[in-house]
Amino acid sequence: MGVALEIHRACRARLAAHGPARIDRVKVAVGELSAVEPEILRYAWEAVVCDGPDAGAELEIEWRPARQVCADCGEIAERVEGDWLRFCPRCDLPLSVEGGRDLDLVQFAFTPLLEVPRVGSDDDGADDGPTPLAPDGNLP
Amino acid sequence: MSPSQEVDVRRNLLAANAAAADALRERFAAAGTLVVNLISAPGSGKTTLLEKSVAPLRAAGLRLAALEGDIATERDAERLRAAGIPAHQIVTGGTCHLDARLVAAGLEKAAFGALDVLFIENVGNLVCPTSYDLGEDFKVALLSVTEGEDKPFKYPGIFARAEITVVTKADLLAHVPFRLDEARAQVRALRPDGRWIVTSATTGQGLDEWCAELTARAAAKRAARG
Repeated sequence: MGVALEIHRACRARLAAHGPARIDRVKVAVGELSAVEPEILRYAWEAVVCDGPDAGAELEIEWRPARQVCADCGEIAERVEGDWLRFCPRCDLPLSVEGGRDLDLVQFAFTPLLEVPRVGSDDDGADDGPTPLAPDGNLP
Repeated sequence: MSPSQEVDVRRNLLAANAAAADALRERFAAAGTLVVNLISAPGSGKTTLLEKSVAPLRAAGLRLAALEGDIATERDAERLRAAGIPAHQIVTGGTCHLDARLVAAGLEKAAFGALDVLFIENVGNLVCPTSYDLGEDFKVALLSVTEGEDKPFKYPGIFARAEITVVTKADLLAHVPFRLDEARAQVRALRPDGRWIVTSATTGQGLDEWCAELTARAAAKRAARG
């Protein structure tokens, strides 16, 4: 959930200079050793955006597997993702682990929204803040 | 409606945390304080390991303190204070990990003074705390024998990052189907240069080795300060 919030915060921070906008989709890179489970991140993302102007924004997750590498033989192609070899299948040497630690915001897409005058004021003089947008990004 | 526009970012999602962690690391380096980030599942024995480490580390002349991360309650900090170590509780209020900003704020409140070793006991969780740098010198993963030997491959992120894996509750090995050699092989596959220490807070097994390792690393940290 913290990571999903961070993704949204990072996109929104970049959007601040663009005026009103709706996030359409976001691409993140998630490494096998990042301790982030893609399905849980997707679920958390939906929870983060569901009530705001970015509801429905798509989260694309680029999975980056780790590699097991032998000092003599190079990368071990026999490795099955999600499982790990103890030793090099050819020379029995211990293996090192490389990569798979990514946790990056790669890219996002947004649609600028037209500036619209505030509607629905209750005329009591108090600042009610901006009118919230409906999930489709339009004013209700 | 205007067409969709794309923005390339290519930035680590935890960059803000990393910057806060670097600021902490500089501070700890200037003070010569060794900082240890302890991570494990709930109930693996982080607090107990610290309780048992107080007397030997004190005897080695080290000034100690602990920051305790928990979702709720002050209980762990109270246990450590009772064991004679200054401790400050960071209640995360639902967040499943500590981050560098929480640690900086906790240190401010705790006002520990000069320290040789600062323990940061993370929220009990093998997943989320893994990604958050707290400005520590190294991470320690605890693995209790009641959890099962398959945990390293199930949670590879933390076992790949931990410089030391401490097996706890080894006195229960006779009663649980935990294969120590399999756990060792899994950790070694993820972290070939990692240190492996088997302990029991009940029998005292491995505690000398754990405390000697910390004492040596604390001396190196102090020496590096110059």
